[in-house]
Amino acid sequence: MGKEKTILIVDDIEINRLLLAEVFSDDCKILEAADGKQAIDIINSDIEISAVLLDLVMPEVSGIGVLQEMNRTGKIRRIPVLLITAAESDEQLLEGYNLGAVDVVRKPFMTHFLKCRVNNMIDLYRHRNELEEIVDQQVARLNELNRSLVEKLATIIEFRDCESGEHVKRICGLTRLLLTELSDACPEYRLPAEEIENVARASVLHDIGKISISDIILNKPGRLTKEEFEIMKQHTLKGCEILESMSNLLEPAIYRYSYDICRHHHERWDGGGYPDGLRGDEISIWAQAVSVADVYDALTSVRVYKGAYSRETALKMIANGECGAFNPKVLEAFQKIAERL
Amino acid sequence: MSMLEELNALGVNTEEGLRRLNGNASFYERMLGKFPDMLKSSAVSPDFDGTDYAGTLDAAHAVKGVAGNLSITPIYEAYSEIVRLLREAKPEEARGVLEKVMPVQAAIISCIEAHW
Repeated sequence: MGKEKTILIVDDIEINRLLLAEVFSDDCKILEAADGKQAIDIINSDIEISAVLLDLVMPEVSGIGVLQEMNRTGKIRRIPVLLITAAESDEQLLEGYNLGAVDVVRKPFMTHFLKCRVNNMIDLYRHRNELEEIVDQQVARLNELNRSLVEKLATIIEFRDCESGEHVKRICGLTRLLLTELSDACPEYRLPAEEIENVARASVLHDIGKISISDIILNKPGRLTKEEFEIMKQHTLKGCEILESMSNLLEPAIYRYSYDICRHHHERWDGGGYPDGLRGDEISIWAQAVSVADVYDALTSVRVYKGAYSRETALKMIANGECGAFNPKVLEAFQKIAERL
Repeated sequence: MSMLEELNALGVNTEEGLRRLNGNASFYERMLGKFPDMLKSSAVSPDFDGTDYAGTLDAAHAVKGVAGNLSITPIYEAYSEIVRLLREAKPEEARGVLEKVMPVQAAIISCIEAHW
């Protein structure tokens, strides 16, 4: 069976390295570095190091320098470092501890006790690293479940609307493209990539309130009466109520964006939209983006009350203001991405 | 007399040195065999600069660490004292300790070299 542990011994004095190597060579693979620079090269390589036994006083790069580098790369969190020292000053040892060293072994040392201490520390870190990996996996799985829950919910709602679930996927893609283009073109609307992704994911819930609208109105082939339209408009507020009731199931960012998008994706740039009659940049840029994406997708898709328009016709209708009033900068960005659709 | 017996007579605590290394006599002797070279590369000379002695301090510190691990007690104790005095900015007192240990150090080195 191969040796599972790899110990890096860092000391500029050969005898010290040999002494330490002798202690661990029975059951560990030993790597040696005669100065701090060599040590950093090994630590920063792909080699899986189980523990570092580090001298502090070395020429060129000192043990403190090695610790500083391990802090910079974050490796100090995964690899235990034990300082092997002939009683350096308390200030130096304190600095070593502050930089993440886990223990100090003073020279002269008894090899048996040294071996026990190092092995204990390796086991402790191994367990901790394994637990952290498990937690990371669980968090990733939870996020994936959460994402899936949001998407499935949006698809179910859409089935009631006689759609196949493709609409929400297209809205998600269009929103992502549009916000990315806007971020590049307009500094005032710039969003970090991570936030654009959150908005895109949240956008699929924009019509969640439609679940509360009766089939008769939702799937009516003809034009809605004034009363029916008033009921239909309620889907924005009903959607917010539903989101509020499931806020603990959603990631905070997704909840925040989806709530705002759900409520405001029917607002208009000129203030003539609903439910709040917001005007201009009172409407968040993400709600504006979803609004344009929603109109474009509705125009280019078959609905119970209409056929599908071509891309060119849909773009022309949006640009002419036939389907609402939009922010000119959002429209300009949309025209740009439309060339790629 | 064996090397360990001779060193013992010079004050080296070979019993403790062996215990430190789990009784591995051949490894202990091999490490002792490397000590003279180490001492040469980290040479601490009694005529060190009395105002700028940072390098001397580092070298003395290195000798102290190795001598301690090999239980070369007279050298370990002397260099521990030298390191302490230099840290306390007492170079002349450190020089005195160094001059005093030099003959013992020379005897230990001669003994090791005679057997290697």
